Amino acid sequence: MLNNYLINYPVWDLGFLGGGTLIAFIAVIHVYVAHFAVGGGLFLVLTEIKGYRENSADILEYTRKHTKFFLLITMVFGAITGVGIWFTISLLNPAATSILIHNFVFGFATEWVFFLGEIVALFVYFYTFGKMNKKDHLRIGWLYFAFGWLSLFVINGIISFMLTPGKWLSSGNFWDGFFNPSFWPSLFFRTFMALMLAGLFGFVTSSTVKEKALRNSLEKYCAKWLLIPFLFLLASAWWYVSSLPEPQKLMILKLSPEMPPLIKTFLFLSPLIFIAGVFMAIRMPGYVKKGATFSLLIMGVLYLGSFEWIREAGRRPYIIYGNIYSNSVSAKDIDFMINNGILKTTRWVSLKKIDETNRIQAGREIFRLMCISCHSVGGFINDITAATKKYSQYGMESMLNGMGKINEFMPPFPGTNAEKKALAAYIVKELNSRKEELPSEYSIAPIKPQIPLFDPSKDKYILLVWSGKGMHFISDNNRFFSISQPGNTIYAQLIKRGKTPEIVAGSLRMTYRIEDGFNTPSSNSNFWQYSRSFYGRRINDNEGFSGKKTTGEMDFNESLMAYSASDLPVIPYRDDGAFVPFPLVYVEARDSKTGDLLCSTGVSVPASTEMGCRNCHGGNWGRKNITGLSDETSLDILKTHDRINRTDLEMLSRNGNPRMCSNCHAGEQPGTGEKTKHLNLSAAIHGFHANYISTNDPDPCRNCHPSSGFTKSYRGIHSKSGLDCSSCHGKMEDHALSLLVSEKNEGKSEAERLMKHLRPRSADNVKQIEPRKAWINQPDCLNCHVDFKPPETDQSPPNVWTKDKKSLYSSRSDEVGIMCPACHGITHAEYPASNIFGNDRENFQPVQYQKNAYPIGANKNCKLCHTIDMTEEIHHPNMLAIFRNIY
Amino acid sequence: MDIAALIPSPDTIPVHWVWFKVLLIITFMAHILLMNIMLGSAIIAFVSGLKKSPDSSAVSLQRDISEKTTFVIAFTINFGVAPFLFLQVLYGNFFYTSSILMAAYWLSIILLLIIAYYSAYIYKFKFEALAFARIYFIGLTVLLLIITAFFYTNNMTLMLSPGSWTQYFDKPSGTILNLSDPTLFPRFIHFIAASVAISGLFIAITWQKKKKSGATDADLNIKKGMKYFFYATLFQVLTGAWFIVSLPRDIMLLFMGRDSTGTTVFLAGLIAAVVSLIYGFKNRVWPATWSAIVTVFFMVIMRDMVRTAFLKPYFAVEKLKVIHQYSPMIMFMASLIIGIAAIIYIIRCALSTRTS
Repeated sequence: MLNNYLINYPVWDLGFLGGGTLIAFIAVIHVYVAHFAVGGGLFLVLTEIKGYRENSADILEYTRKHTKFFLLITMVFGAITGVGIWFTISLLNPAATSILIHNFVFGFATEWVFFLGEIVALFVYFYTFGKMNKKDHLRIGWLYFAFGWLSLFVINGIISFMLTPGKWLSSGNFWDGFFNPSFWPSLFFRTFMALMLAGLFGFVTSSTVKEKALRNSLEKYCAKWLLIPFLFLLASAWWYVSSLPEPQKLMILKLSPEMPPLIKTFLFLSPLIFIAGVFMAIRMPGYVKKGATFSLLIMGVLYLGSFEWIREAGRRPYIIYGNIYSNSVSAKDIDFMINNGILKTTRWVSLKKIDETNRIQAGREIFRLMCISCHSVGGFINDITAATKKYSQYGMESMLNGMGKINEFMPPFPGTNAEKKALAAYIVKELNSRKEELPSEYSIAPIKPQIPLFDPSKDKYILLVWSGKGMHFISDNNRFFSISQPGNTIYAQLIKRGKTPEIVAGSLRMTYRIEDGFNTPSSNSNFWQYSRSFYGRRINDNEGFSGKKTTGEMDFNESLMAYSASDLPVIPYRDDGAFVPFPLVYVEARDSKTGDLLCSTGVSVPASTEMGCRNCHGGNWGRKNITGLSDETSLDILKTHDRINRTDLEMLSRNGNPRMCSNCHAGEQPGTGEKTKHLNLSAAIHGFHANYISTNDPDPCRNCHPSSGFTKSYRGIHSKSGLDCSSCHGKMEDHALSLLVSEKNEGKSEAERLMKHLRPRSADNVKQIEPRKAWINQPDCLNCHVDFKPPETDQSPPNVWTKDKKSLYSSRSDEVGIMCPACHGITHAEYPASNIFGNDRENFQPVQYQKNAYPIGANKNCKLCHTIDMTEEIHHPNMLAIFRNIY
Repeated sequence: MDIAALIPSPDTIPVHWVWFKVLLIITFMAHILLMNIMLGSAIIAFVSGLKKSPDSSAVSLQRDISEKTTFVIAFTINFGVAPFLFLQVLYGNFFYTSSILMAAYWLSIILLLIIAYYSAYIYKFKFEALAFARIYFIGLTVLLLIITAFFYTNNMTLMLSPGSWTQYFDKPSGTILNLSDPTLFPRFIHFIAASVAISGLFIAITWQKKKKSGATDADLNIKKGMKYFFYATLFQVLTGAWFIVSLPRDIMLLFMGRDSTGTTVFLAGLIAAVVSLIYGFKNRVWPATWSAIVTVFFMVIMRDMVRTAFLKPYFAVEKLKVIHQYSPMIMFMASLIIGIAAIIYIIRCALSTRTS
């Protein structure tokens, strides 16, 4: 049994009142009155002096009445709510309270002395008003102010310590903690706030003065109290922010999602309070002033409340910055807890082990221990049910993985994976009552392609066609954004059969035709409608980005010795709306002079909208409950992006100007910009999500890439042999890091934020990660198939990538110029491939020419092109071996 | 369930524990006396106000209490803060835990106090205008303060009973009271009755002073005060006996001969109580006061010994780890001296104004 208890206290299960609702309520009221108590002291004594100077009994009487009001507010409400804060923090975060008490006990004790002094001085000041001699009475007034301000001085040291503990973190010294980096700016800020509030509260009593002239003069006087310190307040606020250490400043200004509305409130109220102050100095009827005073009081509480909230949020995810997290986990213990678990290191739990029968109960205990300090259940502040409503079990687990990483305003999840799953299950199944999703009833019937006949004894040509990508995925809800445009590129090589076959080039008319039923893609996608917003120009309906239509002619590419047609307008929806992610393109090669048909064939052009965004971003499928991005999912993606990166993508889309990801995240897509500023799309999207995807997920890629439903991105022979994505591409973290390192090397600082918490799996540290560019530096087939031989390993060596674009499998040729995918099929669907929409669709050409699904010429079928058997391995070594994997 | 495993690990302290213990006892003593005056005099004012046609001495007694209660509340709260602080330093790991178990009640104290306090102010500022209706206000104050006291007694006993903490697992909503503890009610009643006794003395002292300045009704009210003191103290002997026998046998025996310090303190307290009773019976205000204060002092010490004994199986303040840092304590001492000097100056100014 482990005896290292790190979480000491039980947690008050507050339900809907959780999430700091109580402390927010009590603290805001107390702080408001407490600042008034400090500034009001000076107000009293200076107003009394004014009375004497002007020899005005009325002013003195006003001061006496204001003192009574002041006494009733500060002595009762201020004093008891002050104790209330103490009660509250010890109930909500006893561990942190204990740290404060034990470190600053004599600070608190000193403040108690000042508090006692305040009480005595204020009582005497009020009850001897007009009875004591002027000099003594004023002296007592000054003493009251001094005690009040000294209370502020002391408590300011402790409050500012929580935000910026400075050297205390290493020394543990009282004075290091007390006179911390934000002590002085905070003290000045609070002092000016206190003086300003003195003027604000002055209006409360001055507006009730019956005599008009006196009332006006007092209101002018109070307005000065409000306005003059206000200017200094703004200056000290600036100083305050500037004095903050970088992480806290970053949290306030950039990272915290709860900050923008608070900062907006503070900035919005600043001029408003100033204007209201000026307004109060103008002669107006009494009832107007009373209304204005009431409004000012409300504004004042919002103003101070927003400031205090900003300060508190600035220390996220800690309650004492760098020392203890908001959920009472000590920063130094977090790794130990991750390894040993929350339940084993916590005193107040009834369960120590999680199994199938108690998972939800364990999740409930973990929730209470780790979450309720910041999250209410269905309450006013940080309601957990609202915040997690979108999550499936998988999404919730991913969210928990990402805590403390990209999501730095929350602490890292301090438990084991089993605890993470239990917590996720509790939140998803119990709190949100989410039911298991039933499998889709959509049925797939293989659609037989029209494969042209091939007669090996008569036909003189072999036409080899392939798609540029094994799977092109597009987002179809373009009203919100587009991740990439529709557009598959196809390639073709025509081979003239004979003892010495030739690649025919130049004298051909190579035409393509997307299969019937896919002729009007723009009727099933709004991409074209929003194309102007994406590219600044309208792309014609049913046309690809490069101008290709659903039928047309291919162009000869001399460097590849192949024909190509770029960016065909292919979407995975048939004109009747059916979801078919593997449309066919038929290609014909004709003699350019005679027009005679030399050979024709077909190829599947894979495109899918079946991305797994909804696994974490919520929402249903967008189309027929099987595929596509729903409005809800799309909107959540934008909201998340906006929240984390402070962008306004949601607003842009609502205004009819959706963006394409590559507009900012330049990639290999055409029409991308700002290449130097933001991360490229692949680095950004993999780098971000790698922080969330569980390291224990054996096959994380399938949760996002179209792979787990109807669309099988990965369907070639490697898939049949039991390899997974990571066999070639490496683990998720390594995959992401290699992209990010490359971007970082190019000076893109955004990469660092995403890399900060990613730990390489294949190397000891990030320095050993070989940088790579997406779509250029990829795993090389020859990494495993050394010298084209059967591989001795199932795992591609890490950090070994193709050098450049020309070295890619899809761009490479054999010794005689035939491109690799021409015979082997495209990446992820290498022959023999399988496909629930019909294997022949995938293995179209091997079936057409060889009546099998193996690579072209496999099993010593050299005579397919050579018309005779061959004994030399001309194209590549080991090509005369018998295909190993029986299909 | 292993009860010891539930007890939180304590944090380190900056100076030797004795400093905190002494500060705790001194400030608690001040707090408890003020609390007694606050609650007891409010009870007396309320009871006295129940009469539909009171004599003038009763009204002047109530008026005097109405004027003083708000001050006493302020100082009771202030002098509550200091022992509250030192209690957390020494016993925070027990106190925070019990507070959380009864959090809903514990936090409600803040609201109860605010209402009780404002009600006392209304009682004060509207004393004449309200006439008979004023008893509703002092009644509300009394009721809320008694509820507050009950919650305090719950917390102070619950923190000593880790054995009953396991209720949390069935009721994590902060709504546990320590009702099954046999010491709860005798302890609570013992403290409430003490309030009436001490307030009786306070009334007697107040009116003795007033007598010097020629107040009418002074003699009647002095007598009334001493009567409250005498009977409440007599009642205290009974509730005290109930309290002590309600303690677990081992703890009770500490004061019955098994432990010489415990027994001495108990006997000293008992003797002082008897002396105060005798003086009380004889209407000797000041001797009764001093002996009552001595009694309270020994009772406070005894209370601390009971706490130590309850916690002994799990904890001892001697075991708290000290990481020495004396300079903040010097700051506190210096501020205390300066603060007291300033307070004396202020009070002198006030008194001279009054006499002039």
